[in-house]
Amino acid sequence: MNEIAKVTRRKFLVSSLALGGAMVVGTQALAATVDGAPWDKANAAGSAEFTPWLTINPDGTVIVRATAVDIGNGTLTQLAAYVYEELSPVWENIKPEYASTNRDFLENNVYSTPGGALAYFSGRSTGPARMDTYMQVAASARERFKAAAAARWSVPAGEVTVKDGVVSHAGSGNSAQLGELIAEAAQIQLEQEPAIKDRSEWTFLGKKAPFKVQLPKIVNGSLIYGIDVREPGMVYAALRQSPVMGGKLKSVDKDAVMSMPGVLAVVTVDPGENVPTDLKPPFPFGVSTAQHAVAVIAEHYWQARTALDALPIEWDDGPGAQWKTTEQMNEAATAAIQQPGDKVEASTGDVEAMFAEAGEDNIIEADYLTPYCEQAPLEPLNGTALVTEDRVDFWHPSQHSQMAYMVAADETGMPPEKVFFHQTFVGGGFGRRVFSDDARMVVAVAKKFPGRPVQVIWSREEATRQGRYRPLMAGKLKASLGADGLPTALLGRMAGGPGFFAVGMADTALPNILKNTQIESQTVPFHILTGPYRGPGYNSNAFFVETFVDECAIKAGIDPMEYRLKLYAQWPDIGWVKTLEEVKAKSGWGETLPKGQGRGVAVANWGMGGKPDEGTTVATVAKVEVSQDGVLKILQLDVAFDTGRIVNEDAVRTELEGGTMFGLNMSLNEGLNIKDGRIVEGNFDEYPIIRMADLPPQINVHFGGLSDNPRFFEIGEPPTGVVGPAVGNAIFQATGKRIRTMPFRLHDLSWS
Amino acid sequence: MAISLSINGEVKEVDADPQTPLLWVLRDYLGMTGTKFGCGIAQCGACTVHIDGAAVRSCQYPLESAAGSEITTIEGLSPDSTHPLQKYWVEMNVPQCGYCQSGMLMAAAALLQEIPEPTDEDIEQYVNNICRCGTYTRVRAAIHKAAADMKA
Repeated sequence: MNEIAKVTRRKFLVSSLALGGAMVVGTQALAATVDGAPWDKANAAGSAEFTPWLTINPDGTVIVRATAVDIGNGTLTQLAAYVYEELSPVWENIKPEYASTNRDFLENNVYSTPGGALAYFSGRSTGPARMDTYMQVAASARERFKAAAAARWSVPAGEVTVKDGVVSHAGSGNSAQLGELIAEAAQIQLEQEPAIKDRSEWTFLGKKAPFKVQLPKIVNGSLIYGIDVREPGMVYAALRQSPVMGGKLKSVDKDAVMSMPGVLAVVTVDPGENVPTDLKPPFPFGVSTAQHAVAVIAEHYWQARTALDALPIEWDDGPGAQWKTTEQMNEAATAAIQQPGDKVEASTGDVEAMFAEAGEDNIIEADYLTPYCEQAPLEPLNGTALVTEDRVDFWHPSQHSQMAYMVAADETGMPPEKVFFHQTFVGGGFGRRVFSDDARMVVAVAKKFPGRPVQVIWSREEATRQGRYRPLMAGKLKASLGADGLPTALLGRMAGGPGFFAVGMADTALPNILKNTQIESQTVPFHILTGPYRGPGYNSNAFFVETFVDECAIKAGIDPMEYRLKLYAQWPDIGWVKTLEEVKAKSGWGETLPKGQGRGVAVANWGMGGKPDEGTTVATVAKVEVSQDGVLKILQLDVAFDTGRIVNEDAVRTELEGGTMFGLNMSLNEGLNIKDGRIVEGNFDEYPIIRMADLPPQINVHFGGLSDNPRFFEIGEPPTGVVGPAVGNAIFQATGKRIRTMPFRLHDLSWS
Repeated sequence: MAISLSINGEVKEVDADPQTPLLWVLRDYLGMTGTKFGCGIAQCGACTVHIDGAAVRSCQYPLESAAGSEITTIEGLSPDSTHPLQKYWVEMNVPQCGYCQSGMLMAAAALLQEIPEPTDEDIEQYVNNICRCGTYTRVRAAIHKAAADMKA
């Protein structure tokens, strides 16, 4: 059953009249709102909850419940826009709140579809399916208001209109505010729920781009992020985990710091103490496993931090310490791709026979490597938990509130109905706060100091060194080229530590165009933990594939843009060629450049899963300048994309700009090093992030690549994969040097 | 012993170790959480406040040094969010996650105090805060707009 059917058939029937004529349905909701910090909001007296997604208050405010966490991408505002399109309340009266994970559990997944694409209280919750849900509940509410008004004024419902919060009937001159009609509207039974507007009827979506609803709170510092939670009696914890992942605590001399100012306790976290539950989290609990850790708890954070620095701790590093250097790990990954992989990701035709037939001169082969990278959201990992005998309260800047909620129940053993998760605003996600290892650590520390809320804060160094990183990955690509210069067969191999992501090699266009393809992968037993990082897997594989396609073009003696246009014309998704044509036209491709400058192009798709007309395709042209002594300057980036259609141009532009900068930083600057099993880099002085002065003078986002295919898809992740190979390919044009490893800043780019 | 601070025009008494960074005094002792912790080593600028009108990274500024100075935090940038920077920040949809933006705004406000009509280069130099979301182009554009307004 699709979600609309579920909403209209079931959710509207749960309405019931409460005491005093007020409409209240369901249990108490726990949610954050853009009001700031009141996360224990029940429906207000006299309000009507039309569905668990939508409550309307007598004062005309419209509560819209969001499962998707707003990590700065504007999900809350987008949900408000969906509701506005159908219901037309006063825009400023729409108040998005976070849906309660507790309620979702108690009410049999009222907000989620277990195991389905909408299981996530995470990404994709503003996608087409959810858009239809919000528009349906808003349209259904609107028709109830119209019917209620019609009955009150004895006029035909079809003549009643709702506009900007006012219900009116032109013929009789009657009008009323939405809030005035709640009690009557909530009792209306419609014979049939209304159809939602067709795209051609939209007046708001796709046309208006309201500023994000939380911005007024951001600019005066009053928006509450996880780290800003202030609960009565709250104490602070500073955290140190085993510096080698998988290592164990050998000893800690607690007495050495107990007399320091403000210190209340020194507690330890041992993952072996966790008693597993049989709860069904969105991801397996394994990804949230805690590391061995020590935390100092004090009245104030700085006291905890100072005491932690003075605390004598000894660690047993365990097997991870065998990885002495970054080079050793790079070599291990590179060695793994020289052998057939353990796992076959895709296999068609006979690649080896094609290679033999083509002959040495027509074979091209290259190895690539990408390092561990940290998402580095600017709000350091943190959370606040209060564990008592009969309930757990947990305030957290999660990127996946359902996962974090389940983790809190699992870690404490508290029945889920007694766990209350309070989603806060989030100071950047980029994938880091999805697996909820941070959530588990917070609760694991807090449960050792029950009865008072404990705010656990990672230092920047701790967050950087205890990441769930973009994996270190090696890739090999080998192809035979036909008489027209295009590939006839492709061998691809990937290798990385446990948990690396295969997305972007077997499921992209190239291997699916070719009739002879062999894609394999192999896991190398690294101890470093990995996790989602903006465009998981894709952010490495798009670099491998699109650098390799460039190398094929050069070997074939064909302009890299023309080569791609010919190659991807064979793929039935028109978006690939359209986005390439767009950046070709807009970037000045082909215009002569002075020596030391070059243009490069790359195109890739995030989310296609091997199929045409799925996901989001992005093409990028980079124009660079490399001085003779090797200083790289990005002069211009032109980005075109195809996600079918869009519903908010400004939000799309923002994400494409931001994602391009994220991918640029990843490619130029980011890479973590390992020494004796430990992550070396700790803070931004060692792990550089692009600043204003580093910006390319021009980052141009173009909309001419849109195919009008009836879909829209994620937009924040797609740009991260292509900017790197576009810049790398441009560097080749400028210098003749082929860049096959990230970060680019480690390469000597000098030329003469 | 309590130390007396002047913050946003109000006197506040703080009983903390004199070496405590001003950032943590604001956040923990005074509950003023608009000023953010990002790195702790004066790299990212999320903790930027004004001390006697100059932009300062409060994570590296000890409490004892702040005594006797006029401190302005994001909560005091304007009484009602009407500073032109705040206005354009909202209108132009500048923030994404927003976490760095208190610091961005305070750095930008100090810049406009000193250089009312900044060039791109001035902005790059004064507002070299880290934004992981990549809002830089809009930050720059909004500063220029605010500067034009304030001149008028």
